[in-house]
Amino acid sequence: MREARFRWNGADIPFREGETLAAAILRAGPSDAGLGYFCGIGACQSCVVWCDGRRVEACVTPARTGASVSGSED
Amino acid sequence: MRDPDVLVVGAGPAGISAAAELAAAGLSVLWIDQRDRPGGAIHRQPSAASTAIAFGPASVRNQWRRLHARFQGTGVSLTGETGFAGIDSDGVAILEQRHSGTTTCVRAKAIILAVGAVERVLPRPGWHLPGVCTAGGMQVMLKETGSPPRGRVLVAGNGPLTLALATQLAAAGNPPVAVLEASDPFRRPSHALALMRSPRLVGEALHYSTRVAFARIPWKRGRRVVAIESHGGALRVRSVAKNGYVETFDVEHIALHDGIRPNTFGLPEGEARPFIIRAGDCREALGAVAAEVDGKQAARRVIARLRGEPAPKPHPMLNAERRAQDTLASLFRPHGDAVPADLPDDTILCRCEGRTVGDLRTLLAAHPGISPREVKLNGRFAMGLCQGRFCADNVAALLEHGGETGPVSADALTGTRWPIRPIAIASLIRDADDPNSSTPQ
Repeated sequence: MREARFRWNGADIPFREGETLAAAILRAGPSDAGLGYFCGIGACQSCVVWCDGRRVEACVTPARTGASVSGSED
Repeated sequence: MRDPDVLVVGAGPAGISAAAELAAAGLSVLWIDQRDRPGGAIHRQPSAASTAIAFGPASVRNQWRRLHARFQGTGVSLTGETGFAGIDSDGVAILEQRHSGTTTCVRAKAIILAVGAVERVLPRPGWHLPGVCTAGGMQVMLKETGSPPRGRVLVAGNGPLTLALATQLAAAGNPPVAVLEASDPFRRPSHALALMRSPRLVGEALHYSTRVAFARIPWKRGRRVVAIESHGGALRVRSVAKNGYVETFDVEHIALHDGIRPNTFGLPEGEARPFIIRAGDCREALGAVAAEVDGKQAARRVIARLRGEPAPKPHPMLNAERRAQDTLASLFRPHGDAVPADLPDDTILCRCEGRTVGDLRTLLAAHPGISPREVKLNGRFAMGLCQGRFCADNVAALLEHGGETGPVSADALTGTRWPIRPIAIASLIRDADDPNSSTPQ
């Protein structure tokens, strides 16, 4: 199966079908990975990221191939 | 989007059971959830390709099988990736289509809110550092990915969920170095005996405690975490026992949990048009089994209301669940104040905007007798993106310590208004049903 990928702060992050941005980022990176993952249910807003120009909670947003995701607006 | 008879918000046990009951009664239902699949936090399903681990006692797994069969049988379908932003003054529900970044408005005759609970997490020095998450947060990630966090994990706080998480981490191959529990249930034999009245709770207690013991995970009771610091790329956690004994743990991750509370922040409620009721843990945090019954009850109230029939009586099972939860709460009641009055000044209270305990003390010293509302508006506590979900209870507790105001509720700080969750202005002005506004600027 071809592995799907998105960009996170300039790095290529592979993800599995149905996985959230947070799940893929945490699996790929070091323990914090620059993502403020905290509550996991979209309530605390700590893991809000920019995804293709929109602010979304990484823990409740499905990863999509080719998405450009970063911790800041640039 | 066509206006439904009933809007059901949430696809955990209460939302599933409400949506299925309404659909079976022949009503048109718009059933939404922020996620793309039903289950809620308790029944979070693994993403397609991850290794599924059979988590939890049989009572939990059986409930999922039952709920899954129920909504499949009625044919009600979930409109996923849809956020509930609130209800405006005309009774119109505002929904955010998260996938497209648009909003839509629906006018329903009735609305059932089943948005679950949020965890309570007490402020501790360093609880804002990377590597710190809630026990529930670590648990849903584990359920979704099937793999535990890498490195050493410490679980700390209060209540039975910490043991459930420890059991699941062990099953996934990375048991925590310890579970630190603020209370000491072993010192409360009378409450432990009261637990025997609920066979299901006894079953769950046995399920978790035997697995924790089998995995040789130390369960250290009467312990509080008093500091978390960054230390050589990891976290150094300092804990203190009731007798003053200090123990430190070096770990990569710490999961914190101090109970749960209904996720009522900003939620509307009313018996007028539309008829709005809450169901499950967002009405009263009684757990998944009660939520399933409560969702069905909420649906029956709505059906009776729409047909002009008398409201059904409350289900007797909810009383039994309430007693069981009270017993658990007594068993796990920690000593002393929940939020310690002697927290260091630099402890973060508001995680969103970095407001500290010291900032609150300065504000209260300068404005004695200041109202909770003014603490929000002037001090920016409960003002940030999470809308007070992770600080309002703690700020309210510290205001009570101040002693000038009497009992303070989190609601007095947060208030009720929409949107009940952050929503981009760009999404708000792009109506999904209006072809002229559906292209991004």
